[in-house]
Amino acid sequence: MSPYGSVLPTAARGILSLCRAPLRETITPVISTFQQVRGLKSKPKGKGKEQPVKKSKGPQEFRQKNLKDMPQWALCDAMRYIRAIEVGREPTVQKYELHIRLRTKRDGPVIRNMLRFPHAVQTESRICVICPPGSKQAKEALAAGAVLVGEDEVFEAVKAGKIEFDRCLAHPDSLPALNKAALGRILGPRGLMPSAKTGTVVEDVAARVEMLRGGTVYRERDAVIRLPVGQLGFSPEQLRDNLRVTLDQIKKDASALTDRVNKEIYEVVLSSTNGPGFSLNGEFRSESSPETSALTGL
Amino acid sequence: MVNLFKRLRKLQTILNTKVGTGAAILPSLASATKEFPAVTRLHLTYARKINQGHGGARHFWRKCLPRLKYHNPGIPMTVTQTSDQEGPSALTIYFAEQAGNAAKALAAERKVVDKLAPAPVENEQSVVLDIKNRTYNQIWDRVQAMTGAKTVSPTGEDNQIMAKLAEIKKKSGPDRQRVQAIRQAKKDQERMLAEARGQVDKQVV
Repeated sequence: MSPYGSVLPTAARGILSLCRAPLRETITPVISTFQQVRGLKSKPKGKGKEQPVKKSKGPQEFRQKNLKDMPQWALCDAMRYIRAIEVGREPTVQKYELHIRLRTKRDGPVIRNMLRFPHAVQTESRICVICPPGSKQAKEALAAGAVLVGEDEVFEAVKAGKIEFDRCLAHPDSLPALNKAALGRILGPRGLMPSAKTGTVVEDVAARVEMLRGGTVYRERDAVIRLPVGQLGFSPEQLRDNLRVTLDQIKKDASALTDRVNKEIYEVVLSSTNGPGFSLNGEFRSESSPETSALTGL
Repeated sequence: MVNLFKRLRKLQTILNTKVGTGAAILPSLASATKEFPAVTRLHLTYARKINQGHGGARHFWRKCLPRLKYHNPGIPMTVTQTSDQEGPSALTIYFAEQAGNAAKALAAERKVVDKLAPAPVENEQSVVLDIKNRTYNQIWDRVQAMTGAKTVSPTGEDNQIMAKLAEIKKKSGPDRQRVQAIRQAKKDQERMLAEARGQVDKQVV
């Protein structure tokens, strides 16, 4: 309340507060009409003070830092550091990771796809396929390497809390049954709920199982795509092949979105499970890097 | 993606994998002598906890092995961590052809059997060093004496960066205190204002 209110005696304060409220109500419309009249006479200078000022939305694009001071490495040099930092760890568990920074708008569509590497990153990923048991697709999916195939038995297992798979696919024929089972609450948070948007509801289940076993799903989050790109035991050539395929695919994804959306790759960072991120300069090896055979294996 | 400045700062610490204890080049097939034959691989076994003298081995893995691996990228180095505290804490060094006399003598001081280390293949001889109850510096001194590894000294550029990092670290203490004082003063001010406002409101109601 007003600072002078505390100085007045209690009775006077009561009177003051009583007469204050009606005063305001009557005065405000008068002022506003006056302002409108003034606005008609002369052009409003600068920003329109009468209208509530719209909150500025901030920059439209994700802010990109200048990479001038960022040291960048050739692939072999980065691998040498990463392999030194990850020394003594399990080579099939530790992974090379790729972080691709995009120059893109804050809103608009995001890149979301899956790809298959020339050299498989996952040693084994367990895939569950939801399709009518005993059908042709079920047999094909099993032959392609799915671990769990069926409808009701899968639902039962999931409801009992037994989720023994890393990926989940569904055939359109069993989609009604899947929706009826209401597994979204269990599978959704784990990112396992099949949906047409993520490409996990498909006709040709077997082909997708094949693809998923050697591939990875990726998506853009806050202008960065992160995905595992190789095992620690990979040779520089193997890693280079995987990197090349990934970058080509992402460029293709970016150009496939729409004409209006402009996405381009800003920075490529190679990291690992425990290591720091090394910004890559696009070269394979520098003068000081060791032989590629020395960067293979354990 | 992580803030660029954070990433830059973090990257400066990769200097740690380049210089320090263990930054040395092990003899390769090209530079091998009779006394110090080429080292083909290393294997370290130790237990999960530091009880019964396994602490030095872990420090050796954390501090020295990355530097060794950086300067000898072609030499495979493996680590096995067991949960058997009574078990051995041992470093197995594999030499091409025949181990040198220095290596044999040092390993013979304290005998130990490491069942988890891979067996030496043909044209390879392994020497097992007992590293229980030894600090990583002691372990490294022995490894250097056994293999004849040549220490890599930091370059002028490395020294510059190290000096800069040391200065930053020295400055961080006073800086932290200064910023804390500023924050505390701001908090005190806000609290005082809130109290004063609270009193006024009480009087009005």
